[in-house]
Amino acid sequence: MHWQNKSLQLRHLDAGSCNGCEQELTALTSQAYDISQFGIDLVASPRHADALVVTGPVTDTMIKPLQKVWEAIPRPKRLVALGDCAAGCGVFQKAYACHGGVASAFGSPDLVIRGCPPQPTEMLEQLKRFQNNSQTATESGL
Amino acid sequence: MKSITVEKIEGPQWTHYNSQQKQAGHQLLALTAFQGHRLVCHWLSPDGFVTAAVLHWSGLDFPSLSPHLPEVAFDEREIHDLFGYVPKGHPDLRPLMRTPRWPADFYPLNGTSQFPPNWLDTQPDNPAKIVEGDGVTVMKVGPTHAGIIESGHFVFSIIGENVLHLDLHLFQNHRGVEKSLEGLALEEVPRLVSRICGADTVSHQTNWAMAVEQLAGYQVPETLRWERVVLLESERVLCHLNDLAQIPAGVGFQVAHQRALAMKELWQRGLLELFGHRLLFDTVQPGGAARVEVDSLLKLIQTMNKVWHPWRNFVEKHHGFNDRMTGVGLVRRDDAARFGAVGVAARAAGLNFDVRTLMPLYQNLTIPATKGGAGDVAARFKVRLQEVESSWRILQIALNHLREAPAILRWHPPEDLSGEIVSYSESPHGLNVHVVELEQGHVRRYHVRPATFRNWPLVAMATAGNAVADFPLINKSFELCYSCSDR
Repeated sequence: MHWQNKSLQLRHLDAGSCNGCEQELTALTSQAYDISQFGIDLVASPRHADALVVTGPVTDTMIKPLQKVWEAIPRPKRLVALGDCAAGCGVFQKAYACHGGVASAFGSPDLVIRGCPPQPTEMLEQLKRFQNNSQTATESGL
Repeated sequence: MKSITVEKIEGPQWTHYNSQQKQAGHQLLALTAFQGHRLVCHWLSPDGFVTAAVLHWSGLDFPSLSPHLPEVAFDEREIHDLFGYVPKGHPDLRPLMRTPRWPADFYPLNGTSQFPPNWLDTQPDNPAKIVEGDGVTVMKVGPTHAGIIESGHFVFSIIGENVLHLDLHLFQNHRGVEKSLEGLALEEVPRLVSRICGADTVSHQTNWAMAVEQLAGYQVPETLRWERVVLLESERVLCHLNDLAQIPAGVGFQVAHQRALAMKELWQRGLLELFGHRLLFDTVQPGGAARVEVDSLLKLIQTMNKVWHPWRNFVEKHHGFNDRMTGVGLVRRDDAARFGAVGVAARAAGLNFDVRTLMPLYQNLTIPATKGGAGDVAARFKVRLQEVESSWRILQIALNHLREAPAILRWHPPEDLSGEIVSYSESPHGLNVHVVELEQGHVRRYHVRPATFRNWPLVAMATAGNAVADFPLINKSFELCYSCSDR
């Protein structure tokens, strides 16, 4: 599968974030960053998505919904951990109701964007690189 | 803050005493449970005095306040979930944070539970309250959503287009924040407190700082007071700009939405330059606060005003938009009072409560009363419009004081600090309360009662009777943070 020059449709899922990553992800859709001009967009249904963007340290209550959403995304698909919590290095990863980020709770992400929260410019750069770099297209979850 | 009066209450007097506090017009700050069968109910009088009503009891059952004080219905369910104490007489003791995945003997705050818990492999859904009958449909929304928002599950009972009942199933974002804070040393706390909520972070940080300072008897110098006012008001502007952008989005009014997001972006870029963080994380500590460049922030406010006024004029004169907001998602004044509503939602319903008027931080400032009144989406929108402008005025006053203010040396709290205290501030969402118990410089108990927790039940009430398609608009008009509430 070649990802080169393909659009990148993202489905977002909050698994215990503080709302910081959500605010900055929303900023990407505003005219200041206008993420859709690069062929990257956030979509309403997992059925429309190429990748799942997870924020938060993965709370126990969100584990099952996370699995369900992942299963609903058509193959091939990729997994993105957005922010320090999802990356497994946030301040609440050891809290009792958290599973320590995407990698330990669910599976190894294809892209990890660090930051608390990551700045929109940083997110955009990493997503663009991810979109264009076919080498990063592992076959995870296929 | 003025000193706290402690009242020890005997079991049979518990409901009577607390109901009387409410009837006397006092504001509930928090109902906090502790290990060793102790409950503390903090009340704030209209002249700023705090009373702590303390209940000790034996066994698991304690008398529920909820039949008399419906505003603590969620608090008591939380206490039941996390401590295993049973509020006897509670009208609806379904799990709030607990899910069927929690082991039966796991009560994270009771001091005897094992960590990590052995989660059960089952679905996390709790029983829902639904309406049954001919023509009634149950519609479930969430916990994952079609947009970029936090997780929350809503169970609607609808007939035709109209919502009969909305049952809230929140707390998907429950991380275990209060437990994580236990045992931490003083200097480890700010990083976590700063991340309880991405929208009200300065308010949370300030509450922690004030709690430590009050326990240590530290007199906050004027410079530091003004610096914190600057941060708190900058956060209010940021959060209100976000909410003012989201409300038009709730009716598909993209132009107003995008222009407001652009204003928010402008403000955030200024905050990044001035304070090093676009959302103001890690800006307040006990004895300290981020310094501000007075002229840069004044200039930023001027720039904001150039885009703000045309936008305000545009949205206020848009008949279609105003029609869509008027009469929708009504919160009646009586209900707001009965359920202890706080913040924008309370002021929009005609309650004139803003805890800034009682905070020592704001003692030299007049907080202008906002005009709300109608209690609908339009009123909540208008209250925010007014509050953004009053925040900018407060910022200008604070900045002018800071121009003259002497630099201060950073104070550090004593390492063996002990005691129990309550602190509060007006976050962008309303009254935000922390109850902190320290022992030898370490956290023994940390309870966070944010504004959103108090207001969530109102969202459900305001939605019933409206078209289901108006829920996004109603929800956005409250714009309650889930993470604060879920912790």
